[in-house]
Amino acid sequence: MRRLAGVGLLVLLLALPWMINPYAISTVTRILVIGLLAISVNLLTGVTGLPTLGQSAYFGIGAYTGAIVSTTLTDVGPVQMLIAAVAATVAAAVTGPVAMRARGVSFLMITLAIGEIAYVAARRLDITHGTDGYAGIPPVVPLPGLPALRLEGLVYYYVLGGFLLVFALVMLLLRSPFGLALRGLRDNESRLRAVGYPTSRFGVAIYCIAGGIAGVAGSLWTSAQQFVAPGDMGFSVAALALLAVVIGGLGSMWGSVVGAGLVVLTQDYIGGYLAGYGTLLLGILFVLVVYLLPRGIAGLSLPKKVGA
Amino acid sequence: MGAQIRSMRRIAAGAVAATMLLAGCGGGLGSEAQTVEGPVKIGLLVPQSGVYKALGDDMKNAWELYLDQNDGQLGGREVETILADEGEEASTGQAAAERLVNRENVLAVTGVVSSATMNGVADMFESSQIPLVGSNASPTTLTDVEYIWRTSYVNDEPGKALGEYVANEVDGSVYMLAADYQAGIDEVEGFKETFEPAGGDTADEVYTPFPTTTNYQPFLAKMRQSGAKAAFTFYAGGAAVDFVKQFEAFGLDSQVDLYSAGFLTEGGVLEAQGAAAEGVLTSMNYNHDLDNEINKEFVAAYEEAYGKKPTTFAMASYDAAKVIDMAIEEAGDDLTSTTLNEAIAGLGDIDSPRGTWHFNDMGTPVQMWYLREVQKVDGGYANVVIDELGTLG
Amino acid sequence: MLGWFDANVVSMIDGVAYGLLLFTLAVGLSLIFGMMDVLNLAHGTLYLIGAYAAYALSDGSWLGLLLALVVGVLVGVAGGGVLAALTQPLAQRGHLDQALLTLGIAFIASDIFSKIFGSEVLPISVPSQVAGSVTVFGQVYPVYRLLFIAIAGGLALMVYLLFERSSLGALVRATVADRDMVRASGVDTRVVMFGVFAFGAALAALGGVLGAPILAPGPSVDETVLVLSLVVIVVGGLGSVTGALLGALLIGQVQTLGVALMPVYAPFLIFGAMLLVLAWRPQGLVSLVGRS
Repeated sequence: MRRLAGVGLLVLLLALPWMINPYAISTVTRILVIGLLAISVNLLTGVTGLPTLGQSAYFGIGAYTGAIVSTTLTDVGPVQMLIAAVAATVAAAVTGPVAMRARGVSFLMITLAIGEIAYVAARRLDITHGTDGYAGIPPVVPLPGLPALRLEGLVYYYVLGGFLLVFALVMLLLRSPFGLALRGLRDNESRLRAVGYPTSRFGVAIYCIAGGIAGVAGSLWTSAQQFVAPGDMGFSVAALALLAVVIGGLGSMWGSVVGAGLVVLTQDYIGGYLAGYGTLLLGILFVLVVYLLPRGIAGLSLPKKVGA
Repeated sequence: MGAQIRSMRRIAAGAVAATMLLAGCGGGLGSEAQTVEGPVKIGLLVPQSGVYKALGDDMKNAWELYLDQNDGQLGGREVETILADEGEEASTGQAAAERLVNRENVLAVTGVVSSATMNGVADMFESSQIPLVGSNASPTTLTDVEYIWRTSYVNDEPGKALGEYVANEVDGSVYMLAADYQAGIDEVEGFKETFEPAGGDTADEVYTPFPTTTNYQPFLAKMRQSGAKAAFTFYAGGAAVDFVKQFEAFGLDSQVDLYSAGFLTEGGVLEAQGAAAEGVLTSMNYNHDLDNEINKEFVAAYEEAYGKKPTTFAMASYDAAKVIDMAIEEAGDDLTSTTLNEAIAGLGDIDSPRGTWHFNDMGTPVQMWYLREVQKVDGGYANVVIDELGTLG
Repeated sequence: MLGWFDANVVSMIDGVAYGLLLFTLAVGLSLIFGMMDVLNLAHGTLYLIGAYAAYALSDGSWLGLLLALVVGVLVGVAGGGVLAALTQPLAQRGHLDQALLTLGIAFIASDIFSKIFGSEVLPISVPSQVAGSVTVFGQVYPVYRLLFIAIAGGLALMVYLLFERSSLGALVRATVADRDMVRASGVDTRVVMFGVFAFGAALAALGGVLGAPILAPGPSVDETVLVLSLVVIVVGGLGSVTGALLGALLIGQVQTLGVALMPVYAPFLIFGAMLLVLAWRPQGLVSLVGRS
């Protein structure tokens, strides 16, 4: 039954550009990208038990790398994505060991610091073009030899492709022994270490993987928006991604995407019609979700806990 | 099993509902430029939330004032203003602009406060061939555009206007201190462009973290130690209030003459600064006490409608409405976004509260710049024009 | 050496003022977290309550200031009570849910404040006798900040004595360390926890009223205050008054003396300092003083 619903959803996603207007399609594109960022947050927070406010840093590194590659090297999308993923993973590898020394609120604050430092760096460096943002990004070419994608619907397909690829890889990861070990890290790290698992190495490994995924999401963002600004990697992006994960349900990947959709829609779309009330609506959304959906949207499909 | 089916149905229902929510007028493959008959839709893209809300309000007020004065018409056509919240970041600005162009199918857009947003949406307006008559943001790098107009200025012009004057007036070195973002950097670069060739002596060039700096004591201490006789600064909004008040509180005002781009004392911030702002000298393309007929009427009408004097931000938005008004009239019956843009390009002199100005080849104004001093006026403090700094553009 | 001191002593004094302001803000957050395990992201809102009260009521007279203090603290305590009540049902659900809820409340409150007070930064009037400046170590320095150092310093001393030297403080520290043990000894820990929440909120609002002339209320100020408070309590050590004081004074110096010495790196200093402290002492500075 699940598989049928999944196929149905895929068909709907593929048919979308024929059904809705370009603005709506670009909104869905944005939702997919932020959903991917939320998935990277979820890998750390929901699966490994490490709440993070720093994934926006790797998202930004991926976005700016994609931008720089597109204007200096090549406008072939997958190449940009690959280089962006590598750059973000390297950054995660450098900063991961620092973060992994702590847990809980201290970990959260270290990741916040990483995010803020990256944000300030983006505002000041010449290579990122400072606070006015990186413009002049050419339309993305999906494969060498194909024409550049200019229509919103085609860009959507490109982003959808990248999204589905990463999503599938994440699902494989979660089903692997490594994925199970991560959940052990979340539930009882000391016990896992006592039975001989190299928990700190696992921690750094998942930190790097999550960083790489955020980097890919960043590169897709650049291709979709054809513009990157430091605000795309600031504290509010990190906070909204974390909140999207909590709304969707910790540990549930599709929940994170739905959460991201809810946040993006509330802010951009509905906030656009009720101009100036975006913050209020987000606040109300958070309060409602906490009280009405204790295990997030994904929690709706789980059987009620016995006795709790 | 039952729970899974229920949840999957719920997801599917949610997806369909979301799709219907997003669905608007179909046709996602771009629209042909069609002649607009009758009423026109103009997008007003300004911040309605966040730190720039005050500017957004000024721009919205002035736009609405112009329409009110013209029976809700521009160029003889009924106007429906579609308001969109630019927000604080380029991503929200881009999304809002996309909504105006791709969903609301507006004839033209006006507004835009953030330079990052303007950079982000420039490509879209150029490729969709829809004119953006910007009334605030103006990055210095936006020079080769056809559909982007700005009725305000270019971000380095307030600095450029002051440089020579300060070099001649000040007998000693000048300390440059600005907010650390592109606008601040542009202002200082513009200042140096005319300051240094005029023989000016620079004490130091420092940028304060923005928007996080609220305590200027360390920077003011260094300014004092440098022995500079004057300072050139750029701050706006809350930072301007903090800076000016602390400039006085830490005793810098007795030692250093304060020059700045006009935003330091523009609008509501002057009220918050109070006596601390007295004697501050700024450059701006407009002041409410400019002595011409159009300005007198404009200021009176604005004050009656909104209870305060108009700022340069309001004035630029008012002029944007005028530009679109004149251009729609020029375009006549064959009104499309493209013909509207051609009409704007063909406009000559524009009679404005700031005086008379016209667009140059880059789409920015050729206009007079004024030197203002904050003086005690009628029991309060106000900017008073004391000199002309010359024409730029 | 003397020349360096001469140039920077006023920055160091300012650092003390700033640090004491941060202490009044952060100590409540630290206690609330240490005691109730509640991550209160609406803490910045409590500051704004006090700061807006100062704007509305402090009209340049001492009476106005007093009125602002009373009203600000009362509304702050009420706000704290509301937050405590709202987070009570989430007691078992972990930090993220509390974070989500309190952040949502902070967003809503921020929007309401903007609608009532507008989105500009507001001028705060201080009593005229303290509105001027004096010469300190050869430089001009605002009188109000000196007064603030005196008041906030006295406050910090009182809070320190209360928590570290009185039996009430011992009770609170015991509840932080082992809630169940305290409950087993017959004390209603819920009263203790609500009391601490209210006290922390009152301090934050008090910091808002007194600190408004230094850090004026505006649209994103609650976020600034929240981030600064979080940095202070993490640097100092969660759940400890001594820690909050050490962290606050350090961050205060980083933001003033640090910026004066290294203005080019100014935006990185506060987080750089935090990372350094955490790398050296993951439990925070308070672990240097022998308490966990």
